[in-house]
Amino acid sequence: MQRFRELSPLRKKEAVFGWRLVSPAVILIGIFILYPVLYNIYLSFFEVSLTPGVPNKFVGFQNYRELLTDPTFWNSFGITMLFVLITVFGSILVGLGVALLMNKEFPGRGIVRALILFPYVAPVISTVFAWQYVLMPLNGPLTILLSNLGIMDVTQDLVNDPNNAFLVVSFYSIWKNFPFIYLMILSRLQSISQDYYEAADIDGANGFQKFRHITLPELYYVIGSLVLLRGIWNFYKFEEVYLLSKEARTLPIYLYEKAFTGLPELGVAAAIATVLFVVMMVLISIYVRKVLKW
Amino acid sequence: MVVRKRSFIKTFLFWFFIALVVIFVAYPFAYMVSVSFRYDSDAFDPGLIPENPTLSQYAQLLGLEESIRQQMSNEEEQLMGLLESLPEEQREQILQNILSQRRRESFPFLRWFGNSLLLAGLSALTSLIIGIFGAYSFSRVWYPGRTLVQRGVLLVYLVGGVILSVPLYDLFVRMGLTNSGGTSMFALYIIYVIQTLPVSMYMLGNYFRTIPESIEEAALIDGSTRIGTIMRIIIPLSMPAIITVFIYAFMIGWNEYLFASIFIRPYPGAYTLPVGLREIFFSEHAVWAKMMAASVLTAVPVIVLFMTVEKYLTAGLTAGGVKE
Repeated sequence: MQRFRELSPLRKKEAVFGWRLVSPAVILIGIFILYPVLYNIYLSFFEVSLTPGVPNKFVGFQNYRELLTDPTFWNSFGITMLFVLITVFGSILVGLGVALLMNKEFPGRGIVRALILFPYVAPVISTVFAWQYVLMPLNGPLTILLSNLGIMDVTQDLVNDPNNAFLVVSFYSIWKNFPFIYLMILSRLQSISQDYYEAADIDGANGFQKFRHITLPELYYVIGSLVLLRGIWNFYKFEEVYLLSKEARTLPIYLYEKAFTGLPELGVAAAIATVLFVVMMVLISIYVRKVLKW
Repeated sequence: MVVRKRSFIKTFLFWFFIALVVIFVAYPFAYMVSVSFRYDSDAFDPGLIPENPTLSQYAQLLGLEESIRQQMSNEEEQLMGLLESLPEEQREQILQNILSQRRRESFPFLRWFGNSLLLAGLSALTSLIIGIFGAYSFSRVWYPGRTLVQRGVLLVYLVGGVILSVPLYDLFVRMGLTNSGGTSMFALYIIYVIQTLPVSMYMLGNYFRTIPESIEEAALIDGSTRIGTIMRIIIPLSMPAIITVFIYAFMIGWNEYLFASIFIRPYPGAYTLPVGLREIFFSEHAVWAKMMAASVLTAVPVIVLFMTVEKYLTAGLTAGGVKE
């Protein structure tokens, strides 16, 4: 990198101009994102007081010790991992399938395409109520349908049952987020050259072979990046989980309840956030090296 | 040709899967809309088509009609009659209680709608303005440290809202921004700006790079300043991207629940739609028909906005700059 001092006067002027333009954004991100991340680590070593005038009490690793010996924490940790696995895998599978379908011309494609975006675009709060309605025990139309098919009991409250709430939430999350995956994959599909397929036709390849040897390799990096993005986002997912069912006890919900309900334990919550962040970083760096080969 | 028979099965399967996708996507929406046109007592009638369709849920939410409960009871008059006989201070006291009870039971949908509109709109606008200059800076101007800024903006993806919730809450409490509804809304405004800023910058930056630099150079030679070229050339040429980014940022603010619930829970006057609707859901107003009508009214603005820019949205999202 060239040093600022060594630049020509014109270049210097240019550099100052560039920095000036970007500085509001950099300052805001610095104060409200980078600093809080560090401050969060700092807080995790304290018993945080919310009474003005009473200083925080340094407790060393006690918050962490408390967490790591708390079975609820480990339980949440496991649920979070399962939730991320199911939703990432599920939404990519559905998104890929739908993108392959929509890549073909058919009458009414425009309408269907617009409709597919609905779950992604509609506010979480609205769609959550809609799902809670259809899944109401006894009266919900989906409950009645599923119980007629013998899949569940009509009296069962799927949404608020702690045993499977995270499965319902996972299903909801797949429904909500597959359009994003679908959009990304579709746009990549449309940029694959038709020549490949024509060449394969001449060689007598069938549909599956074409998919396996042309489409899938072309999609490798898109899917790889999507797994990364959805993995990160779903790991931190709060709204979609909490609003549909508090019983799906993933880590962000555990954190929220520790920090903002009942007797606030901000220090412990900060420790949870730090653990989340570290685990995330480790997973991302492994993934980026092994799968994306950056 | 051997293909003929197989292609019939193929066509059938194709349409079968399309139908499956449509049902999968539309199922909850269909019920949401259907129930919103029913009376509360019919909320769980079987079937999708309401037997006695009504617009009254919408009329009540929009303040065009009083709720049946308000119509039927002349509570007010009866109460005043009872209160006549009480001594002055006691009367005050009881009136206060009733008033606060009322406030808790009412469904001030329009107020929440307005709050959400204000917060999401203003923060999206701010993030857009800061984002335009920031994105221009790192897509067009060269300076030492530019790559660092670009990477830094990307890195923000790794930090989720939950991780920031504790330190930001602590910070804003210390800054005294949680003492009233107004200041809490201001805190939310700042949070929404920073949550949408990285997306705005990334999406806009990608778009700016597609504008040929020669157009700008021509303007510079004609004596335009750099700021002038941004205003007169870059912004008009990027209108589709700018509108898309605005709508995307707007949606993030419109949807946000985590920070809103932390900061404005104590101030009902400052509720945004997600917080308000959720509070109502757990109160005695949890009447399904009305909840569904409120859900529809919450969803319609963003869906309409998105559909109008669908084409650009797809391009913007797939350009790689996304965050929720």
